[in-house]
Amino acid sequence: MKILKAGLQTLMMASAATMVALPIIVVCAAALNGGRSMLFPPQDPTLARFGEFFLTEPVWKNALMHSIFIAFASAAVAVLIAWPVAWWLWRYNSRWSKTMATITSMPFALPPIVFGVGLGFMWAFADLLGTIFAGIVSHALLLVALPVATISIGLQSIDKSHIDAAHTMGATEAVTLRTVILPLTLPYTVSGFFFTLILSFNEFIVMFFVSASAYSTVTLQIFNSLRNGFTPTMAVGAITFIAASILVFGLIARFGDLPGLMGADQARR
Amino acid sequence: MPGVSLQQINKQFGNDTAVSPTDLEFNDGELTALLGPSGCGKTTLIRMIAGLETPSGGRILLDGQNITDQPAHIRRFGMVFQSFALFPHLTVTDNVGYSLKINGVGKEQREQRAQELLDLVQMPQFGKRRIGELSGGQRQRVAIARALAQQPSIFLLDEPMSALDAKLREEMQVELRLLQQRLGITTIVVTHDQREAMTMADRIVVMKKGQVEQVGTPDEIYNNPASLFVASFIGKANFINGIIRRGTVIVGNNELATADKPGFIDGSSVTLFSRPERCRIVDNTGENTMRGEVTYVRNVGSLFEYHLTTDIGPLIIEKPNLQGNSPITKGQQILVQLPADSIKTFPALAA
Amino acid sequence: MTTTVGVESSTTPPPGLAPPQRRLPLANTIFCVVVVSFCIIPFLLVIAISFGEKIEGAAWRWSFDHSNYLRFFVGADWPDTRTTLYIRRLWFSFYYAIIASVLAVATAFPFAYVMSRQSRRSQTLWLVFLLSAVSLSEVFVVMGWDILLSNRSGLPMVFKETGLTDWLKTSGWFEVLREWGLANPRNVRFKPTDFATIVTMSYLVWPYAVILLYPALARIDNSMLEAARTMGAPPLTVLRTVVLPSVRLPVIGTTLILFVFLLGSYVAITVFAHPSRQTLAVSVYDSVRGATMNAPFGAAQAIVLLITAVLVLLIVWMIGRRTEALQ
Repeated sequence: MKILKAGLQTLMMASAATMVALPIIVVCAAALNGGRSMLFPPQDPTLARFGEFFLTEPVWKNALMHSIFIAFASAAVAVLIAWPVAWWLWRYNSRWSKTMATITSMPFALPPIVFGVGLGFMWAFADLLGTIFAGIVSHALLLVALPVATISIGLQSIDKSHIDAAHTMGATEAVTLRTVILPLTLPYTVSGFFFTLILSFNEFIVMFFVSASAYSTVTLQIFNSLRNGFTPTMAVGAITFIAASILVFGLIARFGDLPGLMGADQARR
Repeated sequence: MPGVSLQQINKQFGNDTAVSPTDLEFNDGELTALLGPSGCGKTTLIRMIAGLETPSGGRILLDGQNITDQPAHIRRFGMVFQSFALFPHLTVTDNVGYSLKINGVGKEQREQRAQELLDLVQMPQFGKRRIGELSGGQRQRVAIARALAQQPSIFLLDEPMSALDAKLREEMQVELRLLQQRLGITTIVVTHDQREAMTMADRIVVMKKGQVEQVGTPDEIYNNPASLFVASFIGKANFINGIIRRGTVIVGNNELATADKPGFIDGSSVTLFSRPERCRIVDNTGENTMRGEVTYVRNVGSLFEYHLTTDIGPLIIEKPNLQGNSPITKGQQILVQLPADSIKTFPALAA
Repeated sequence: MTTTVGVESSTTPPPGLAPPQRRLPLANTIFCVVVVSFCIIPFLLVIAISFGEKIEGAAWRWSFDHSNYLRFFVGADWPDTRTTLYIRRLWFSFYYAIIASVLAVATAFPFAYVMSRQSRRSQTLWLVFLLSAVSLSEVFVVMGWDILLSNRSGLPMVFKETGLTDWLKTSGWFEVLREWGLANPRNVRFKPTDFATIVTMSYLVWPYAVILLYPALARIDNSMLEAARTMGAPPLTVLRTVVLPSVRLPVIGTTLILFVFLLGSYVAITVFAHPSRQTLAVSVYDSVRGATMNAPFGAAQAIVLLITAVLVLLIVWMIGRRTEALQ
């Protein structure tokens, strides 16, 4: 009976994992196609598409560069915006600090298409539509809710007596922030940075409305050529992105507290 | 000259009174224990002394100077926390040197001072360790060293032993007391453990519901409790209810003589207090003797505890374990005497 | 040990710091104003422009004109004729999103429950897997399902090669599938069908569903379940009487959050849904940046989508308040 139950559970978990992995595996295999069409199983397996994506075709090379640059820059901007917001929320927990947190979470909570359309209008008025700057700020605003959440979790996990201890040893509030609170919440800040990075990397809806034709990211490039169908070179992009996600989340899991970040046990002290 | 004095200090949380207006003196070089059950306001009081909590009213003086409005980081009273609050992102040396670092002391001097302190708490080899690698007792030593690094004028400890197991706790109590005496530093310890307070303190402040019940040396507190609460909170005791009649106390059919003669009027209800170790087992009847049946014998190792049923109600008496086994067994009838000078009389609680 | 009365919320300001100051330095004020404007102005612009007026070419001008909303609800030529084209698109947005989100939560729940009972190490590994899957761009997910469901490769080919198609034909099920639109005269087909659309959309949010259900399930104390077992409840009864009641509100909240998320999905719809059964999100793209180039009308459609989302999120918020009040 026990063995049967355990077997059923394992079977369920395994089939769920297979279902999640199936389209990803199919895409990875499709990257090996020799021809221009996406066939599964792949025909004339070759690694030439990898060369095209990373080296020879400037469209993809540039798009990848833009993706990486925008992802890092917007993650940095998002963390810089998120820190004061999360700090005020934790330190004062006042009406306005809660309002700030709510407003900064709005772009992420509401359908991104609406925010994207609005950002398109806003950058058009500012005459910045199509600039990389607009792309970075747009992604930072869209995703700032993530670092606000992770940093808030980090701040709440601090044992308050650490702060009291710093004060009794002569630390002012600013010194305590620098020497105790920032180092203790560093893993959470870094996690927030990388969450933002990965989501920016994969985002294309908002980018579609703010990018014009001056530049394009990998996902946007695929989105724009959607009507012509998918090609195996795009599948190489997919592999790159999956690898980046697994790497980043694997690192967060290794050096941070992933179950805690996902809210498993905030009640635990 | 007093170390710290509190004048009418009090603290309200909303409509709740954590500490009622209190006057207290903490003498220079003495170790004072703030003792009381959970929620009695002792932690709030020590936090107000540290500057971590703003008093709702009253003044705090340090060597006669008003420091009520000084924040914690100006007062810089070293404090040891219940959880020790050691910084997990710093090494042992960096933890001990933290107060020096943020006050601009150079690295070399800082490390030298940290080493001195680690020597003082008998952990000379542990400087390079991370906090996560230390045991509870080691963490406590580091916390003590860290609080002393800034050479504080007052040393505060908030339930410093509660994270340690029983055996280590007793050793650390003695060790901490010896260290404090060696340094001659004015020290305030918050505790809910009366044995801990008795072991370490020069003076004990017993608190209840935000108010000071009694201030005195451990001897005074133990032998002459000022109230029934103090009597019941400190150590074991027998409590017997009776009525005053012509200078003696009537309990059931018995008449008990007491040495203290507080001015109770005839007919008032009183509660008598007597320590178990002061009760005697006697051979012949006499003053304050009564018959009792042993219902339970408890072997505590160094002594035996006898639970008796007597004419005046249940009694507990203690006798040292001198032969290795109990001379009295369960079910035995014995004569027990409560010496008149061992009894204190309190007005009975309005039930 | 001190009384905790007077604490008003779960995130108390740290004690020991100076009492909170209302006064803000100039730099902080500027920061707040800038961030708040950047977050809110886009939404305000969409609202304002939805009342604008389209002029020649791709341009538009400020106005206060209800015609865009009129066109949305009853058509441009009303009252002469009445078209429900856009209402229909809103309906399809609802239809796909609600079925896909319910399907995702229903299948994610047992998975999340079993996962939350595993060791912390395997939980972490699962989370890495799920987070990688959930952050994967919609274009890549659709790419995978496109290969799996397209008629030249993928499942229809598998059906044909394994003889499943022939079996379906002889057993009579093929006619049923044809009636459901899941087969052409020769073989089964999944493009374009509602089935493929909903499966792909459900897949998109499935890992998200696990991640959202996970905290509520992980916080269920194991000893509580064991207590129920010692009182004689078999595992399914434990699930029904202890687990489900304690996560009822998080389950509803999760479904609604996924629903709002799926309202905006675009790529899955354009690739898998029949052109006559497409959603509001698609026509927003078409109006703002696509073929029709009518920004004010696109904005009006976006506002309808936004109001739908806000209403649903308000329900989530109220559920959250109730959950908090219950705890």
